[in-house]
Amino acid sequence: METADCYQVKLDVFEGPLDLLLFLIKKKKIDIHDIPIAVITREYLKYLDRKDQINLDREGEFLLIAALLIHIKSQMLLPREKDSREDEDDPRRILIDSLIEHQKIKAVSGLLKDKEEEESQRWKRSFTPPLSSPEEVELAEVSLFDLAQSFFTLMKRREQENIKLIKEKEYSLDEKMKEILDELKAKDFLDFFVYFEQQESLEEALLAFFSILVLIKNRIVVAIQEHLFHTIKVWLRKEALETKRP
Amino acid sequence: MKAQLKELIESLVFVSLEPLSLDKIKEVLEEFPEEEVEDAFLGLVESYSSNQKGIQIIQSAGGYLFSTKPEYDIWIRRLLQIERKNKLSPAALETLAAVAYHQPITQAEISAIRGVDSSHTLRGLLQKRLIKIVGRKKSPGKPLIYRTSEKFLTYFGLNSLKDLPTKEELEKILEEEQTSEEE
Repeated sequence: METADCYQVKLDVFEGPLDLLLFLIKKKKIDIHDIPIAVITREYLKYLDRKDQINLDREGEFLLIAALLIHIKSQMLLPREKDSREDEDDPRRILIDSLIEHQKIKAVSGLLKDKEEEESQRWKRSFTPPLSSPEEVELAEVSLFDLAQSFFTLMKRREQENIKLIKEKEYSLDEKMKEILDELKAKDFLDFFVYFEQQESLEEALLAFFSILVLIKNRIVVAIQEHLFHTIKVWLRKEALETKRP
Repeated sequence: MKAQLKELIESLVFVSLEPLSLDKIKEVLEEFPEEEVEDAFLGLVESYSSNQKGIQIIQSAGGYLFSTKPEYDIWIRRLLQIERKNKLSPAALETLAAVAYHQPITQAEISAIRGVDSSHTLRGLLQKRLIKIVGRKKSPGKPLIYRTSEKFLTYFGLNSLKDLPTKEELEKILEEEQTSEEE
């Protein structure tokens, strides 16, 4: 717990704003019907003044409770006509109810935590991950659409790099295909993303992309995605290896 | 045949990745008399409850499934190379508790009970499939309504939602806590 970050009420030491009130009620240190809102809010404002950094989540939560408390206080200060619906309308009633509800939820979440701990030590077939071996990952062959989309995102990224270098080198599709195949034979597979990052120019990257498309079309390589949203890998097809295409 | 029936049911439980209910077993074994299936099933559960097996048949989410014993957890994790299983955050547990006790419930209602915005936590729980969307409330804005899922039960090793303490029991627990703290 980040106790150092927590707002400490002067009345006692507490963890958080909502917890503070819960604690007060539980311990009956302060009667819920007599919450010294002025004290709490004044102290809290002083505390905020002293701080140069605040935790929005925590302070936001406190603010909500504080606002409710101030609302109650204001209601108490105004002279009120006594009416029969007093109990229903009493804002304190609402606060107490929600606090009790919150206490219950806290109790249940503690219970669930224990159950979770207990259950996490029981292994069931559905929760047991398979013993992982690199070859047995679930592979999904990707569609042309996936490839194209990945390619365009990559190109978008590269556009921003502002390429200044202009090369006079001529590229040919055949050469590029041969280059890819050579690399595949040497390396087992190509990482689609990494490979395109390596291309020196947009032209070369485009050519590489077309080469891969041609290779896929001719069933020489296969593009596979191991997990959704992961990189796409290009593999040499085993059949193609055996028949050795030109 | 009886002994075989027991083996047969054992196989069915084994291949099921989700808790298998007795009704489902009966449905699959339609050619056998229901009573015999029931007997064989009870026999099977009994034979697994003895102390000589590392695998147990446990009841979960209204069905039965195989499970290892908790005491062997460390070695299993060693084998599977899992240091620690991911646990839910306190916020997630609290949100689940709110959903479990107030379902069907909307996001705004959950946030109101917890006193903090719960939309993010709720999304996480949906992704983990511990809660599910069951429709929309017929109120302004037609907010989505949520319920706990079957996975919620299996995750916490509950047979049904009735395994959780009732609201009255909870009140008692809280009262007891209060009095014991005062002493």
